[in-house]
Amino acid sequence: MTRSFFSRNGTRSGYQKQARYSAFDLFRRGLSGAEWPRAWRSRDPKSSYDVVVIGGGVHGLATAYYLAKEHGITDVAVLDKGYIGGGASGRNTAIIRSNYLTPEGVRFYDRSVKLYENLSAELNFNVMFSQRGHLTLAHNDGAVRTMRWRAEVNKLEGIDSEVIGPAEIKNLVPFMDTSEHTRYPILGALYHPPGGIIRHDAVVWGYARGADAHDVHIHPYTEVQGIDVENGRVHGVRTNRGGIATSKVVNCTAGYSSLISGMAGVGMPIGTFPLQAAVTERVKPFLHPVVVSGTLHVYVSQTDRGELVFGASVDPFTSYSTRGSLEFIEGLAGHVLELMPSLSKLRLLRQWAGLCDMTPDYSPIMGVTPVEGFYIDVGWGTWGFKAGPVSGEAMAELVATGKTPKIIAAFDLARFAEGRLVGEKGAAAVGH
Amino acid sequence: MSRGALKTGKSMRLGRQPGEVLDRSRQFVFTWNGRKYPAFGGDTIISALSAAGESVFSRSFKYHRPRGLLTASFLDPGCNVQVGDEPNVRGAHRKVEPHMAASAQNAWPSLRFDVKSANRYLERFLPPGFYYKTFMEPQRLWPLYERVLQRFAGGGKASPDAPHGYYDKRYAHPDVVVAGGGPAGMGAAVAAAEAGARVMLVEEEHELGGHLRWGDEEDLAALRRLGEEVARNSTIEVMTDSVVTGRYDGNWVAVSQRSLPRVEERLIKARTKTLVVAPGLIERPYVFQGNDAPGVMLSTAARRLINLYAVKPGERAVVLTANAEGDAAVADLERAGVEVARVEDARNGGDIGRVRGGQGAREVECGDGARIECDLVVTATGWTAPTSLLNMAGDKPFYNPAAARFFPSRLPEDVLATGGIAGDGSLDELLEHARATGKEAARRARGIGAALRAGIPQSTDGEEAPQDSPVTIPDLPVNGHLELFRGRTHGIVDYSEDVSSKDLVAAVKEGYDSAELAKRYTTATMGPTQGKLETVNAMAVIAEATGRSMEETGATTWRPPYAPITLGALAGRNFEPVRYSPMQPWHERQGARPLVAGAWIRPDHYGDPEAEVRNVRKNVGVIDVTPLGKLDLRGPDVSELLNFLYVNKWSNLEVGKVRYGVMCAEDGVILDDGVTGRLGPEHYLMTTTSSGAAGVLEWIEDWLQTYQPDWRVHVTPVTGAYASINIAGPKSRELLARVAEGVDLSTEAFPYMNVRTGTVAGVEGCFMWRIGFTGELSYEIHVPAAYGLYVWEALMERGADLGVRPFGVEAQRVLRLEKGHFIVGQDTDALTQGFGAGISWAIKLDKEDFVGKPELVWQGERDGYFRLIGLQPHDGSVAPPEASQIVEGKTIVGRITSSRFSSTLERSICLGFVAPHLAEPGTTVTVQLPNGERITARVMEHLAHYDPEGAKARG
Ligand SMILES: Cc1cc2nc3c(=O)[nH]c(=O)nc-3n(C[C@H](O)[C@H](O)[C@H](O)COP(=O)(O)OP(=O)(O)OC[C@H]3O[C@@H](n4cnc5c(N)ncnc54)[C@H](O)[C@@H]3O)c2cc1C
Repeated sequence: MTRSFFSRNGTRSGYQKQARYSAFDLFRRGLSGAEWPRAWRSRDPKSSYDVVVIGGGVHGLATAYYLAKEHGITDVAVLDKGYIGGGASGRNTAIIRSNYLTPEGVRFYDRSVKLYENLSAELNFNVMFSQRGHLTLAHNDGAVRTMRWRAEVNKLEGIDSEVIGPAEIKNLVPFMDTSEHTRYPILGALYHPPGGIIRHDAVVWGYARGADAHDVHIHPYTEVQGIDVENGRVHGVRTNRGGIATSKVVNCTAGYSSLISGMAGVGMPIGTFPLQAAVTERVKPFLHPVVVSGTLHVYVSQTDRGELVFGASVDPFTSYSTRGSLEFIEGLAGHVLELMPSLSKLRLLRQWAGLCDMTPDYSPIMGVTPVEGFYIDVGWGTWGFKAGPVSGEAMAELVATGKTPKIIAAFDLARFAEGRLVGEKGAAAVGH
Repeated sequence: MSRGALKTGKSMRLGRQPGEVLDRSRQFVFTWNGRKYPAFGGDTIISALSAAGESVFSRSFKYHRPRGLLTASFLDPGCNVQVGDEPNVRGAHRKVEPHMAASAQNAWPSLRFDVKSANRYLERFLPPGFYYKTFMEPQRLWPLYERVLQRFAGGGKASPDAPHGYYDKRYAHPDVVVAGGGPAGMGAAVAAAEAGARVMLVEEEHELGGHLRWGDEEDLAALRRLGEEVARNSTIEVMTDSVVTGRYDGNWVAVSQRSLPRVEERLIKARTKTLVVAPGLIERPYVFQGNDAPGVMLSTAARRLINLYAVKPGERAVVLTANAEGDAAVADLERAGVEVARVEDARNGGDIGRVRGGQGAREVECGDGARIECDLVVTATGWTAPTSLLNMAGDKPFYNPAAARFFPSRLPEDVLATGGIAGDGSLDELLEHARATGKEAARRARGIGAALRAGIPQSTDGEEAPQDSPVTIPDLPVNGHLELFRGRTHGIVDYSEDVSSKDLVAAVKEGYDSAELAKRYTTATMGPTQGKLETVNAMAVIAEATGRSMEETGATTWRPPYAPITLGALAGRNFEPVRYSPMQPWHERQGARPLVAGAWIRPDHYGDPEAEVRNVRKNVGVIDVTPLGKLDLRGPDVSELLNFLYVNKWSNLEVGKVRYGVMCAEDGVILDDGVTGRLGPEHYLMTTTSSGAAGVLEWIEDWLQTYQPDWRVHVTPVTGAYASINIAGPKSRELLARVAEGVDLSTEAFPYMNVRTGTVAGVEGCFMWRIGFTGELSYEIHVPAAYGLYVWEALMERGADLGVRPFGVEAQRVLRLEKGHFIVGQDTDALTQGFGAGISWAIKLDKEDFVGKPELVWQGERDGYFRLIGLQPHDGSVAPPEASQIVEGKTIVGRITSSRFSSTLERSICLGFVAPHLAEPGTTVTVQLPNGERITARVMEHLAHYDPEGAKARG
């Protein structure tokens, strides 16, 4: 277990101003009315950095955090064209789980779940990881077979995951219509108790604050417009706030990642697709686990605030638009009501979309590229939030040591040229 | 359930008001928190309660402060109530009905005494995002903390027993949709209709008229005139209690229509040619300490209470006014007999410092420090332009500091704006603008309509494309208005989320210093009103805290829907048709167990699947295979197409022959398989898997339309047009011979893999093909669907002495597994490329090109892929469950994809994937069962466990 960086008395060598968060400090400052210091600082970009991370989402910030914390590389800048966490990291539905289909995938995501379990303490920032259980429903025998397949692989990898029947499902979700006479009867489900949801913004902010505490520079509203590559090596990036010299660039831009890689002349088998989501008004908590139905193209969870969060699979065509569509919420509502018909009077409050960098095998792409010093941490599609910690950790190790850590070795770019795909479609198409 | 007698507190009901919406002839009783209250027809829940002297309607989200009436409209954040099993009912909008059971949300044990209101004493210790700063350790206690936090989740209660209700949808193609039925919307609608347009006029409230409704005699007279004009135009469809919830690409407009007989809520999907946005303005609250105390309300709220509902809003009032609306409120209050203790005129430096009072306003501290006792505080400090629909149309409204609100900037051609959102002015000026806008909307609608029709052959000579020139829309004046957002104290910015200006300032200081970050950190604008009341104040406070201007702080995106819409309305009647074959009545009579298979419901078995298998092997069985995808392909280039889509060769298929084919996608992964027969020189019938039927049609169309548009091929899906029956078993020829006419069934005349067209049981135009999925001699017949049941019954009758029995999907699965036929999607997965599935014999890499060829060429050169093989457990009594993993130690080296006990072979048989080093026949592999036990199995020489040479099917 990694110990928290923040010392008990709220100070540490280097950056003095960062305060430790605790109930006691809340109380103390509540009494005295003292203000809290900035969670991370705002500064002007320097003209050069050892490492430039493009993208201030969970992946970019986690990479920077672990670079500084685990490897002592602190001359790092994280650049984002908008505000921190404004990309997919601030638009996702925050499902965390490790019940994937391939052994490589299961091991990788399991490491992330373990890191998430300890992340609040690690970052001294409550990320509210709620391990409320994750149910993937099966409405036909093909789906039951896939669920069993996943359960078997999961069990072999030591993951808590099993197939349960309608009665147990009803127990876990009393609102669910598990009767036999529905249009899509529920035959069973893959149940994954450690799965759950998290407060996505808190993860982003926690990593930003942690990185800042290690003196990483975070630059919002700094858009990368070009990457200088000469003789197959990276020399720097060009931004709307001027050029920055660097020999190492990490591309953590998810939905925009093929554009950024394109600036370095690196081609990737990625298409960007919008993924939509929506929330309802608040109601008192009644739904505990996360519920996913691949057949119905829908998943549902309820936040601690009481809203139901809905999502589905990606839109059927590539686009950079983040506008929601009417068809989406119509289909969504219909399918939610198939599962829980008593919710028809609940009102949908807000819909939105984010961008997903989809890969052919529904697995990410991490590692080196043909351009020296240009690293990629992309292909996060609809499933990448849960991988923030583990890929941050692994990418930091790669950038710092030059060696690809084993846990991400299977996810390299070369696999597409060498025919070593890591097929996760059966476990990632709807249930992100 | 109600307690006690009728509530008889101090009545605040006024005498008859000129513009009141009450039906005083209809008086009835409803309950609030279990007590009975009187109401008139036309009352909202909240107006009736206010008339009875109630002033607290809910508790706030976080600090459980008592909340009263603020806007007296749909938006009112403190007036969300539970009505029966319906949560979050807008109590200041919903009309009360006799016997309605309404209750307060978010209060325990009672609205008056709420335990959690103790929270407000903790306020200083619970700054925004306090939960990010605590409850961190130990992680194992988080579930406990979380349960405590969840107790504070707001909103009403969902009930698992709430009935689904009846919802429906309607499609509409109006020329013009007008969003907002105030005077501007009415004027625009009338002008558009007079210019020949079909108009939908959509109003959120229960009546048209907007602010005229709570105005003076002159306003009411103007409203009557407008109402008559609207009524005169039969091409205007008026919808009240309805709201335009979204404007999507292509002017696809969603309207939620409520207050309908027998329908809970209807979603209207209107592809309108033009959209006129006329939602008026929303009065903005003012931020100061105590601004959320019951008794503090907006001037429009006070005026609505008095003029629409004849309710006296309080006894003694202080009014802060910065505009004419506030001045009018003063006049209304005085007329209603409210003592106006003081008018603070912001235009002359007047202000409110704070309001004191826990359960309701008691005392105001005015700008000059004077303290005045009162129970009512009315503010009129400005307007928010609800630009949501404009945002959805791609507009980026701009902020005008002189008017202290946002205005439209650049609208697409098919969206126009009028009324308060576009500017100010007298009623006459507004109407002139609205009329010109309506006329222009009609003109543009004509142009857009003509453009849409261009190129489409018209049944009549059609109208000429309009040549008329644009209507001149006069500029509306913009009145100056003070920028009043926050006063000298801190108060609530977001009423639904309980977020104060202090919270926003604290968030900015902590580094959450852009509008988006501050809102996310504090959750301001995330609640039920979606920021319509709060966004501008929130931005102003953030601007103030960052030292930036409003323009720099920027507007955030308003996301759809404009107003919340029920899941029921969005879902509608939820048509997900179930498909049955024509033989379904027969199956039901025989007690078939239904199986949901994609779109279809079909017989899984008729009681004893094992017996069904045996009967096919011994006598003859028939199975209903109607769900098989069927595509009729015609044209000179069909064989080119088949050659291109299937991995095998098709150019040499003779008329009268059928062939099995496999399709791969571009990545070489198996997509579908099936048999296709050549019925004539340019006529083929293709069958696909049942689940692949729709996908393969799209696949073919995609290639034909994008890759080979010059190929002359016509594709018609005929899945439902034919009932399909497979007759299988050693006696199948004999059975078919009894019903088929004009076809010689002898092996010589009709060999394996051939197709004939003929008459079956007197039904002409049936296709018969000889194929063998089950491994037995068998015929698949495709009969015009209308005769499906008839032919089926004929087969049953004529074959009785041959022992004919129906068999279902389960028996078919066993039969095909015995025969080693794989099922796409079960025995292949999203990564199974052609060679992995054991169909090397079919893949013809010497063809010039076909879909997936490059990948298959490449796969053929490699060796690392898993292979599909036949497997038999050494212990033939154990059938490992499908999905059991094949392991070496802890490493996964394969899996079982299909597994059954074969009564024919009296042992268990499987198909499965194994790593290449295990694929050699005779290899022993280890299978881990789901219960953790391990067994061994032998890799077989063939996929087929039964008659691998295929003698039976060919016989
Ligand atoms: C609706 C939705 C639901 C989802 N649900 C889940 C889920 O339940 N579970 C899960 O695990 N995953 C989910 N995902 C996927 C997940 O959100 C993403 O995979 C993940 O957040 C990616 O993180 P990131 O840090 O790589 O990218 P992002 O968070 O997208 O960050 C990339 C950043 O790069 C910045 N950028 C882009 N171009 C430039 C440039 N030229 N210069 C500078 N900066 C630039 C962007 O502004 C952005 O902030 C979902 C996604 C969506 C859209």
